[in-house]
Amino acid sequence: MARTASGTQIPELQPGGRLEHWAERHLRYLMLAPTMLILLALTIFPSLYMFYAAVHRISPNPDLPWEFVGPGNFVRLLTDAQFHVALRNTVVFTIVAVTFEFLLGLGLALLLDRFIRRLTFLKTVLMIPMMLPPIAVAITWKIIYEPQFGVLNEIMFRLGLPLQAWAGDVNLAMFSIIVADVWQWTPFIFLLMLAGLASLPVEPYEAAALDGASSWRQFWDLTLPFLKPVIAIALLLRVMDALRLFDLVFILTGGGPADRTKVLSLYIYQVAYRFADPGYAAAISLFVLFVTIVLSTWFMKRMRLAE
Amino acid sequence: MATIRTRSRIRETLIRLSAYLTILVALILTLFPVYWIAANSFKFDIDIFAVPPEWLPQNPTLKHYDEAFIQRPFLRYALNSLLVAVGTTIVSVGFGTMAGYALARFSYPWQWRKQISFWILSTRMMPPIVSIIPLYLFFNSLDMLNTKSALVIAYTAFNLPFATWMMKSYFQDLPVELEEAAIVDGDTRWGAFLHVALPLARPGLAATAIFCLIISWNEFLLSLIITLTEQSQTLPIGIAGRVTQYKTYWGEISAAGFMACVPIVIFAFIVQKHLVRGLSLGAVKG
Repeated sequence: MARTASGTQIPELQPGGRLEHWAERHLRYLMLAPTMLILLALTIFPSLYMFYAAVHRISPNPDLPWEFVGPGNFVRLLTDAQFHVALRNTVVFTIVAVTFEFLLGLGLALLLDRFIRRLTFLKTVLMIPMMLPPIAVAITWKIIYEPQFGVLNEIMFRLGLPLQAWAGDVNLAMFSIIVADVWQWTPFIFLLMLAGLASLPVEPYEAAALDGASSWRQFWDLTLPFLKPVIAIALLLRVMDALRLFDLVFILTGGGPADRTKVLSLYIYQVAYRFADPGYAAAISLFVLFVTIVLSTWFMKRMRLAE
Repeated sequence: MATIRTRSRIRETLIRLSAYLTILVALILTLFPVYWIAANSFKFDIDIFAVPPEWLPQNPTLKHYDEAFIQRPFLRYALNSLLVAVGTTIVSVGFGTMAGYALARFSYPWQWRKQISFWILSTRMMPPIVSIIPLYLFFNSLDMLNTKSALVIAYTAFNLPFATWMMKSYFQDLPVELEEAAIVDGDTRWGAFLHVALPLARPGLAATAIFCLIISWNEFLLSLIITLTEQSQTLPIGIAGRVTQYKTYWGEISAAGFMACVPIVIFAFIVQKHLVRGLSLGAVKG
């Protein structure tokens, strides 16, 4: 990940001692200003607004005033069983899905890197799932999981295995969501690992081969350490994304059956709209935001290392 | 000696074969779901429900495309998606390019350059679910719910940081000398950006724009919150609307879903060289 010209500054000499225009002199600020202002308005404002909403009870009736409840909504987080279920589901989903995506993506990348080089077309085909609209992915898997006429039960039938309700089954619902997510996002890990592998230096491997190191040792002692920065970036981006899972669950299970796939995003959505309690939803959102900030701070430290 | 060599060659061939086999399986697993949604979209309802499934549509029909895009407002949804995606892309790439250039080239007092860069990146990390409540209440108070402009504003919140980081990463890869030469030749600092750096960054600009289009085209949650009417709803919302508690319109959602995928696949092939950088926000260069 060599960066060229990073941080290089242009000497800001003005030709011929001409009178500098005000705009030209403040160009560095003017070029940055629109983005800064827009992002301040679109992120800082909602965050502050949410703090404000989180300490109130907000009635679905817009004519009623907001009732100040102080930390009440945050205290509810401690005792709300549904919130705990959603939190646990989100953590389970994130850990299992990202682990499988990582192992499959890395394995496939190692294979392709070793045996099929410079086949951009093949790589791009393998890349398709992650570019697709999550809603399209969700309905595709909905058709595959369909208990009556779905392809998966047809395969189960041919193999002589018991038919399943998949996304509609209490024990298999989360598994079904994870499979669809792994299908869509393994290519992401795969792609980043492939890029990492392509940038490995050659010399250490030549030296290792001379020393008679097995390919397993080479992988463990050379490849993995070299890939570490890319792995960190890939995993963190995936974790951040997994924590915000919504579309797949919304279409495939709606959070059911028996709340087995209710994840945090879906719960916030339900609290805000179905239970019409935006104040409490804001409190849960702030919790998610807090977790995200902790994770992304760590992530950005890794990025700084990579730079 | 000879036997060892033969044995290792056989081993090598076996490894190679199993590698190809694994890749073949991966390809089939990757493509089958996409094929399946396409195949179902061309089947009559009765063939969609067929057991065992009809692997190839025996009586191909465009019935569901007619249902979705002619009789039902999916064309409207697709147009909304397109307008919102284009609007978001113009705003994000326009401002993001300027900000990205500034962060790649200029020096700032104290450590602003670094800190602003990371602050911008951190806004990208904000999960959309976190901002739905304030955005909803905000657009509601401005009477902007159910408008495409509201969607453009909301989508800009996560496309602008993305565009800024992408363009920053591309500008950092360009040699500074050409811009210096332009300035020595009497061009202004802005002129050097406009006439020298920008044309050189054109591939990066195109890739960034396409990524913004894809991200906006695929977005679901914010649109679900902000839009409730046909006039403003996007394609993903339209599709989700045909999966109801009582009935799922399999053919229709297959047709619409497949049509939602087609432009994305084309775009994916256009940006294939930039995929790695785009997906890692400029952190990894492929």
